[in-house]
Amino acid sequence: MAEQVIPTKKMPPGLQVENVDDRIMTLNVGPQHPGSGHMRIIVKIDGDYIVDADPDPGYVHRGEEKMAESRNYITNIPHLERPVIHDSCNILYPYVLGVEDLVGIEVPERAKYVRVIAAELNRCIYIQYWLAIYGIFLGHSTMFMWPAGDRELLIDLMEKITGARVTHAYFIPGGVRNDVPANFEDVCLRQVNYFEKRIKEYADIFYDNPILKARTEDTGVLSREDAIRLGTTGSVLRASGVDYDLRIKEPYDVYDELDVHTNVLKAGDSYARSKIPWLDMLESCNIIRQALEKMPKSGSIRTKLKPNPKGREDEVYRRVESGRGSAGCHIISRGKPEPYRLKLSVSSFRNLIALPYLLKGEKLGNMPAVYWSLNYWPVEADR
Amino acid sequence: MGTATGIIKALNSGIKHLAVKRFTLRYPEQKLKFVGDGYQFDPASGVAIAGLKGRHMLFHDHCTGCQLCSIACEGVAEAIAMVKVPDKWGQNAKSIMPQIDYGKCVFCGLCVDACPFYALYMSNDYELSSFTKEGLIYTPAQLQVKPQVQQDSELIIDKRGARHG
Ligand code: SF4
Ligand code: SF4
Repeated sequence: MAEQVIPTKKMPPGLQVENVDDRIMTLNVGPQHPGSGHMRIIVKIDGDYIVDADPDPGYVHRGEEKMAESRNYITNIPHLERPVIHDSCNILYPYVLGVEDLVGIEVPERAKYVRVIAAELNRCIYIQYWLAIYGIFLGHSTMFMWPAGDRELLIDLMEKITGARVTHAYFIPGGVRNDVPANFEDVCLRQVNYFEKRIKEYADIFYDNPILKARTEDTGVLSREDAIRLGTTGSVLRASGVDYDLRIKEPYDVYDELDVHTNVLKAGDSYARSKIPWLDMLESCNIIRQALEKMPKSGSIRTKLKPNPKGREDEVYRRVESGRGSAGCHIISRGKPEPYRLKLSVSSFRNLIALPYLLKGEKLGNMPAVYWSLNYWPVEADR
Repeated sequence: MGTATGIIKALNSGIKHLAVKRFTLRYPEQKLKFVGDGYQFDPASGVAIAGLKGRHMLFHDHCTGCQLCSIACEGVAEAIAMVKVPDKWGQNAKSIMPQIDYGKCVFCGLCVDACPFYALYMSNDYELSSFTKEGLIYTPAQLQVKPQVQQDSELIIDKRGARHG
């Protein structure tokens, strides 16, 4: 057979013609939703084993950062929470903290507690959704139904506080937009306690299930050194044995007044990475209970802002621990009502960097287990 | 724990659920109850009142046509257009009031926060689906109507688990 001529022109990833190896097959996983989440993973397989994996995010890029430059500090709020609608309080949190720094306003004590409660509720809502998808990725449909149902308890609470079920637009520079409804403490306590009881039941059916363990233990092992070297954050970092949680290391609002524990596991495999968020939810329930107890029973919840607040000429970077890991927001202000430049530093993107390392040598069937254990949210990574 | 006991425990945990009441809300026969009368804002104190962020309520006797709501929405969704209204109101010299396009609105409530005259609130009405795009555009006259919303289910938690009832 005549030698094939292969063009060597540089093309976008996935489009270039490649030298074909008889043994190696290239598979495109995605970018449609099931199993990849609007993202493509280009995997090269040798038989059943992955020899190379190249995640290709960007399908749901919406230009949130650019959009922020033409909107003022308040009207930025509804669209900046779009990257992670299920965790909208936490993705908005660093932005709000940053703007407070720039504008120079104080937040009332009660508002800080309300924010912590809302953020923790949101963290659980996000993790439940993530867990539901992890369940269905592994073919465990009960684990899809249960978290999807139980998160309704918390969505109901968020709806009572903020008036919206997913995109709350609740935090605002200077506090929160409205006070919690009357009798909220009791309802919240009741629902959070029941929620905690429910998620403890996941142990038997999911986390202690020998089938799940066989599937996820020792797959995609990320060592402590690699986890630090690759710059992973949040649950991925903590599953590899690094005790780093921004709620403790850089406490914001009232986290320093609360007794927060982090969960650290040593193994660094998919099982540990899937267990950490579940342990985080149990911890969140503790934090919510503490915050409800310590919260001032009355008082102001919002410092009034000027109608079109201008930030001083400066730049700020604030970060918080979101449901996935560190979520940061860098704002450059030139003294205008709009930010000059806004950059979101999101954990999804940083955790994704570990994926090619983890998939190498794995079986193709283990790909979903490894991929989703990275606590990755495609829209957040693309922004 | 051995594999067999683990599997039995997992199965058992699922079987126990047969005795638990169904949690699902049977929409549209059942509809959720909300706190309050919808999201409202008090410009005097600068704080809002908790409630569902649903379809807006426009009070024609308060609206001055100042356009602040539409300016607030420009940065969000550009859902508000100021349109002429036929009736004359003393406080509204230009006779213009907001018209809201629910195909664009994201229900953030920032327009409610912007209104200084207690003219724009949000109501508990969330059933806004329509067969046409034009059907989603609510004129000031439509926004004036107070919605009748069925609200009969609440989350109940008792010994048999949580359910809507
Ligand atoms: S709720 Fe938000 S998106 Fe809807 S009309 Fe008001 S400002 Fe615009
Ligand atoms: S609804 Fe309020 S903000 Fe909008 S035009 Fe009328 S008075 Fe002005």
